[in-house]
Amino acid sequence: MAGRSTRSWSTPLTSGKWAVAVAALVALVATGCQQKPSEGAKDSGKPIVIGISLPLTGDFSQPGGEAKRGYEVWRDLVNAGGGVLGRKVELKIVDDASNQDTVVADYTKLITQDKVDLILGTFSSLLNYPASAVAEKNGMVFVEPAGGAPKMFEQGFKNLFFAQPATAPHQADVFVEWIKSLAEADRPKTAAYPTQDDPFTRPVIESMQKQLEEIGVRTVFAQVYPAETTNFQTIASSMRSKRPDLIAQGAVFEDGVGLVRSLKQLGYSPKILFQTSAPSNSSQYSDGIGVQNTEGVFYTVSWHDQAKTPQNKEFVEAYGKAYNNASPAEDAADAFAAAQVLQAAVEGVKSLDQKKISEWLHSNTVQTILGPLSWNEKGEPQGKFILAQWQSGRVQVVGPAEAATTQNIVHPKPGWK
Amino acid sequence: MASLLQAVILGLLIGGVYALMASGLTLIFGVMNIINVAQGAFLVLVAMLTWWIWRETGLDPILASVITTPLMFGLGWLLHRTLIARIRGSSPSMSVLLTFGLALTIEGVLNVTAGNKFKSAAPGYFEESYQIGPISLPKPQVYGFLAAAVVLAVLYLVLARTWTGRAIRACSQNPSGAALVGVGATSTAALAFALGTATAGVGGSILSVLYPFFPASHYDWISRLLGIIVLGGMGSLPGALIGALVLGLAETLTATYGSLRWSTLVFYLVIMLVLLVRPQGLFGYRLREDAVT
Repeated sequence: MAGRSTRSWSTPLTSGKWAVAVAALVALVATGCQQKPSEGAKDSGKPIVIGISLPLTGDFSQPGGEAKRGYEVWRDLVNAGGGVLGRKVELKIVDDASNQDTVVADYTKLITQDKVDLILGTFSSLLNYPASAVAEKNGMVFVEPAGGAPKMFEQGFKNLFFAQPATAPHQADVFVEWIKSLAEADRPKTAAYPTQDDPFTRPVIESMQKQLEEIGVRTVFAQVYPAETTNFQTIASSMRSKRPDLIAQGAVFEDGVGLVRSLKQLGYSPKILFQTSAPSNSSQYSDGIGVQNTEGVFYTVSWHDQAKTPQNKEFVEAYGKAYNNASPAEDAADAFAAAQVLQAAVEGVKSLDQKKISEWLHSNTVQTILGPLSWNEKGEPQGKFILAQWQSGRVQVVGPAEAATTQNIVHPKPGWK
Repeated sequence: MASLLQAVILGLLIGGVYALMASGLTLIFGVMNIINVAQGAFLVLVAMLTWWIWRETGLDPILASVITTPLMFGLGWLLHRTLIARIRGSSPSMSVLLTFGLALTIEGVLNVTAGNKFKSAAPGYFEESYQIGPISLPKPQVYGFLAAAVVLAVLYLVLARTWTGRAIRACSQNPSGAALVGVGATSTAALAFALGTATAGVGGSILSVLYPFFPASHYDWISRLLGIIVLGGMGSLPGALIGALVLGLAETLTATYGSLRWSTLVFYLVIMLVLLVRPQGLFGYRLREDAVT
């Protein structure tokens, strides 16, 4: 391929060009894109204004967009029912471009300049971490729809509330309980734990590994890979040589699809396959790996569209009506629930006093579409996730028993088709 | 031994595809001094288009590049005529601004039209592989590599053996000299930009099969491609090939013998070490500034 004279291919290089090239590289790697928050705050009139910054562009634009829909469906339902404390609700949503600096600027501006009445959280631990600090500093209650990483709750914040049933290290508990319930012969003997280096997946998998090792499941493979990983054949081929009974992957989305594809290419199918959030992306997941290959895949999730929780049916219907009969993603449901939590507290104390709202949330249980939520003094929720499994091309709830939509559990997982 | 061989072969297969993706970037830079930050967005645009063609007609995604490549060539030509030509003679940083704006525009348009969701084309063979003893060769990777190799070879022949190719190289080496002997600078630049954009036609089609993508995926790709051409020497086609193979090998070898966590770091370490010894990159060469300007 190389030319006779490599020189003839090349272009003169000057230091000016270099500076630009390197600057471009650095700028791209470091930032992503920046966008100004939208202008035009109306001074407080009648409506209650809730300020929110969401990653509508950049890396987290997908969950960010879903969260926006969840918040807006909540707003429309609440306003149709007469609002909160008899006042209409208005959302002021700005874009932080998945950038930590921008999210800080956004919330600071929302609180100090726009003087919004309430705020709601953003998406991912990465963004909620700095955002919650801004809220705490300004004495605002911060109910976040995502952000279950352990370090969130090591900050000792009084105004932080995580509106999901469990924090990351406890999200796989319900799966571990299922394994414990199996007869000794049916339990996996060996396990592999690949996980993305993500504050939302890693603690789930690491905690699962610890709990399973305690009951005698031998770890034969454990590896953390960076978010930008696109090729999974090497991981898959290392795991194949160890032949683990269980593969539990901390997968955000595309890495989950990538690993399944690679495992199938290499012809290795474990007896049990668990992935954190990738399989919860309904058709995007089944299209990505082929619906016939979803059979038996486990995941845990905060919400299910058929759960019989207060307002869940209304939420699913309103969402479908607003968005071409689409079914809501989990991220939309989590955002809706976060708004429900804030609404319950405001109505509970009948005021917008942040201190009272915070105290009320610390001492009450809120009924949401995710089930009942309550918090300890650090803002950690005290509930349980749902264990779901793909069966015949659809998602079934298989645990905990009181939430299950079927008693049938596919085990062991059939081979790839 | 088998795992070493497996890692090396996979690394080369992956690297070949990276090379094709980086070739357009380096070509455009070589001729026009333009750092086309939109190259990643072009790839994602084509991947989306390919996915749609595959979904609607069932045409093989890699074969769909027969349709997407001429389209991208046309788009490249058009963009050059309407936008890129206007910044001729300005500093290269202008090109970063302009093409970054292009990238954002493409991302935004894709967000609105195709939706902010992960997609991936899944033709019948997407999860099969050839088995040679203990070595597995995933079929999509093999086909992608072959397509990339063919396109790179054609690109090489065009540049080395045709008058058009000579004109492009002449403009790349010495624009004023080329103009003196009658090479039309603007039309050659438009051609080079169109060619560079057209490589994204095949690259994006391959991407759609190999990797799930969504509108904002282009940030990952452009940073990877810039890394490749900085290592290889900006503007050098063989440099892009070698840089891409080094990245592919760095990924698979560190994943096999260390941890995938370190693979990006290893690649950038290689870049730093190479730049310490050869600041112009592996295949780049440096002229005295006073002789150039």
